[in-house]
Amino acid sequence: MAEQSSTGAIYFAILGIVTTAFGLADILVTAGGGEFSYGILEIPGDLFRGGWGGVIVLFAGLFYLSGIRNFGDIHQFAKVVMGSILIWIMAGCDIFAMITESIPSWEEEAGPWFNTLPGFLGTYAPPYSPAVLLLPFSLVVIYYIRKRASGESRGGNSS
Amino acid sequence: MTLGVEERWDLIDKISKATITFGKYRHTLKDAIGELTVKPMTGIPVAIAILYGFWSVFGSFAGFFTDGFFVRLFDAYWLPWLQEIFPGQGGWLYAIMVDAGGIESGEFVLSSNCLESFGVLTSGLFVAIGIVLPAIVIFYLMLALLEDIGYMPRLAVLIDTMLHKIGLHGYAIVPTILSLGCNVPGVTATRILETKKQRFIMMTLLAIFIPCGAQIGIMQDVVPDLMGWILLYLIIGYFIFGYILNKIVPGKAPEFLIDVPPYRRPMLSNIGKKVWGRIAGFFKVAIPFVLLGCAIVGGLYQLGVIQWLGNVLAPVFVGWFGVPAETAGPLIAAFLRKDLAVAQLSVIDMTPYQMVTAVVLVSIYFPCVATFAMMLKEGWKELLGALATLVVVVFVYGGLIHLIGILLGVA
Amino acid sequence: MKVLLMGHPNVGKSVFFNRLTGANVTESNYPGTTVDYTKGWMKIKGEDSELVDVPGTFSLDPKDKAEEVAVTMLRESEDAKVISVIDASKIERGLYLALEIIEEGYPVVIALNMWDVAGDKNIQIDIDNLQRILSVPVVPTTAISGEGIKELVSRLKDAKPVEIDTIIENAGGLT
Repeated sequence: MAEQSSTGAIYFAILGIVTTAFGLADILVTAGGGEFSYGILEIPGDLFRGGWGGVIVLFAGLFYLSGIRNFGDIHQFAKVVMGSILIWIMAGCDIFAMITESIPSWEEEAGPWFNTLPGFLGTYAPPYSPAVLLLPFSLVVIYYIRKRASGESRGGNSS
Repeated sequence: MTLGVEERWDLIDKISKATITFGKYRHTLKDAIGELTVKPMTGIPVAIAILYGFWSVFGSFAGFFTDGFFVRLFDAYWLPWLQEIFPGQGGWLYAIMVDAGGIESGEFVLSSNCLESFGVLTSGLFVAIGIVLPAIVIFYLMLALLEDIGYMPRLAVLIDTMLHKIGLHGYAIVPTILSLGCNVPGVTATRILETKKQRFIMMTLLAIFIPCGAQIGIMQDVVPDLMGWILLYLIIGYFIFGYILNKIVPGKAPEFLIDVPPYRRPMLSNIGKKVWGRIAGFFKVAIPFVLLGCAIVGGLYQLGVIQWLGNVLAPVFVGWFGVPAETAGPLIAAFLRKDLAVAQLSVIDMTPYQMVTAVVLVSIYFPCVATFAMMLKEGWKELLGALATLVVVVFVYGGLIHLIGILLGVA
Repeated sequence: MKVLLMGHPNVGKSVFFNRLTGANVTESNYPGTTVDYTKGWMKIKGEDSELVDVPGTFSLDPKDKAEEVAVTMLRESEDAKVISVIDASKIERGLYLALEIIEEGYPVVIALNMWDVAGDKNIQIDIDNLQRILSVPVVPTTAISGEGIKELVSRLKDAKPVEIDTIIENAGGLT
C-alpha cells in the first residue's frame, strides 16, 4: 500500500510540475499579447481562455503539488482529485468549444449552412490547448479513486 | 400536553442515546472535496474554475445557435423576405412591424440587419428567439446542474463573509443566483430571509443590480467586449448600495447558519423537468413582452414621443450620465424587457464607455414589469421604498460612472 | 384524507412530493427552494388523498415568512396526518420538530430520509427501538432514488395520535 502510494505521489508530483508550468506559460503568453504554438501545443492568447484559463490551470497544478505530500490521507488525496477536476472543467470547455465550432459553416450570406467534412474533422486536429493535452494524464486519478473505494469497502483503513 | 424546550431536548437526548450509535466517522472523498470547496484558500480557485466553465460553455452554446445559424437565418432570409412581401413600405405599420429603416441623404433606406430594423416581427422575434432563447436554455441547464449537485450552498458559504458586510447572510446568495435566471423567482425567494429589513434590502438590490439571464445573453451577443466592465459596475454597485442600505434601514440582520447538504449525483430527469419548466415560462411571459415592447417603442417613435423625450431629457442624459439622447427609446423598452432594450442600445452610435454606461443604466433604472408586479405582491410599502432607493441609485451611480469615465479620460 | 409533508429545510420534502404525486415542484439541492406550499393528489389504497408540500421549518415557532406559511398550514389542517421528514444523519435536530408535531396531537409517520448519507457517515440507527419509543411508524428512506417510499405510504394507516407521556415513559422518564 505504502509503495503504491509513493508511485502515485511521484506521478502526480511530475504532473503537478508540468501543469503548473503550463499554467504559467498560459499567463505569460497572454500577458505578452500573442499566441504561441509549438508541435501539438497551442497556447491561446486571449484574456479569457489564456488569462483566466491559465490561472485555473495554474491552480490545478498547485492543487496537485499541495496534495502529494502524505498522499494516502483522504484530505490530501482530495486535493489531487480537485486538481484533476479543474483540468476536466478546462478541457471540457475547450472540447465543447471545438464541437460547437466544427458544425456550422459560419458563412454569413450564402453557401452551405453546415461545415464541410474536412473542415469538420480539421477542427479536431492538433494543436491542442494545454488543458486538453493534460486531460489523459489527469484521468489517472480515477484509478486511485477506485482503488481507494475498493480498499474501503473491504474494511481496510487506507488513511 | 406539550413540553418545554428544555424538556423536549432532554427527551431527545434520551431517545437518541437509546437508538443511535455513531460509528467511527470516516471522511469519505465526497466530504473531503466538500470541505475543499468551502474553505476560502481552496474554495476560491474552485469557484473561479466553475464560473469559467459556466461562462465558456454558455458562450460556446449561445454562439453556436445565434452566430452559427440564427443571425444568418434572420438577416439573410427572414428580413429581406418580410421587407419584400409586407405591404406599405414607409408607412407607420410597416415601420412598427417590419422595418423603421433610416433616412440617408434624403432617401428612405431599408435596414440591413434585424437589430437595426426595430420591427416587431424582425427585431422582436430575432431578440426573443435568435438571441435570448439559446442563452437561457444553456443558462438554466447549467444552473440546474450546479443546484442539483449541491454546489450552490457552498458558494453561499464562501461568499458569506462578504455578504455579512451588507447585512445579509449567506442565504442571500440563493435569491441572488435565482435572479440571474429571472428576477421574479428571486423576489419570491427573499421569503427565506428572516427580517423585514433583510427582505427589503435583498429585494431592492436584486431588482436594481442583478441582470437576468435574458439580459446577460443579449449582452454576451451584442457587446461581448464590454461585458466585463458592465458586470463589474453592477457587482460593485450591489455591494456599495447594500452596505449603505444596511446602515440606514432600521431593523436587525441576525446571523444564520447555513446547512451545507452533501454533494449528490444530479438526476437527469429532475434537471430536465426544471429546465423545461423555466423555458416554458419564458415562452409564456417573455416572448409576448418582447413583442409588445417592440411595438410600443416603435409606435412611440412613429408618434415622435421618443424624439421629444430625448430632447427634453437631453440635459440629464448628455450632461449628467454622459450618454446620447437617443437612449431614451431603449430606456422605455427596458420597462417591458431589458433584453430588448440592450439590443436597441447596441445599434445606437456611441463610444464604448458610453455603451457601458448606457447598459448599466438600463440594468439599474427600473425593474421589468414582471418583477415590478411580483414586488407589489410582496408589499407596496417595500415596493415604494425600493423605487425611492432606485431613483437615488440611478442618479448617484449613473453620475458616478460618468465621473469615473471623465477621470479615466474615456468618457 | 389530507397528508402534510413537514420537516427541516432541504431534507427532501419536495422530492417525496414529486415522487408521490407525479407533480413538478422544483427540487434543488439547497435549502429554501420551497417557500410556499403546494398541493397535490395521490392514491392511497384507491382513495384520493391530498398531499401538501409544506415549506421547511426548524420548529413550530416561526422565524421567517416561509416558516410562518408552514406553521399556519399545520394549524389550519386539524384532521391531517403528517409525514415528518427527518435527515437521518442529523436525527436529533429533526426529532425536535417531530415531537412538537406529535405533542400537538397529529398522527405522524416519520421518514428517516437521506438514509444513504447516514450510512456514509457510519451512523447506525435502531429503527425498531426508535419505533417502540415514539410509538409511531418510522421508515428509513432515500427519496431521491425512491427507496422506502412505498413502505412509507403503506404505513400511513398506522399513524395515530400519541400522548407525549407515553413517549417519555418508553424513553425511561425525564431527568
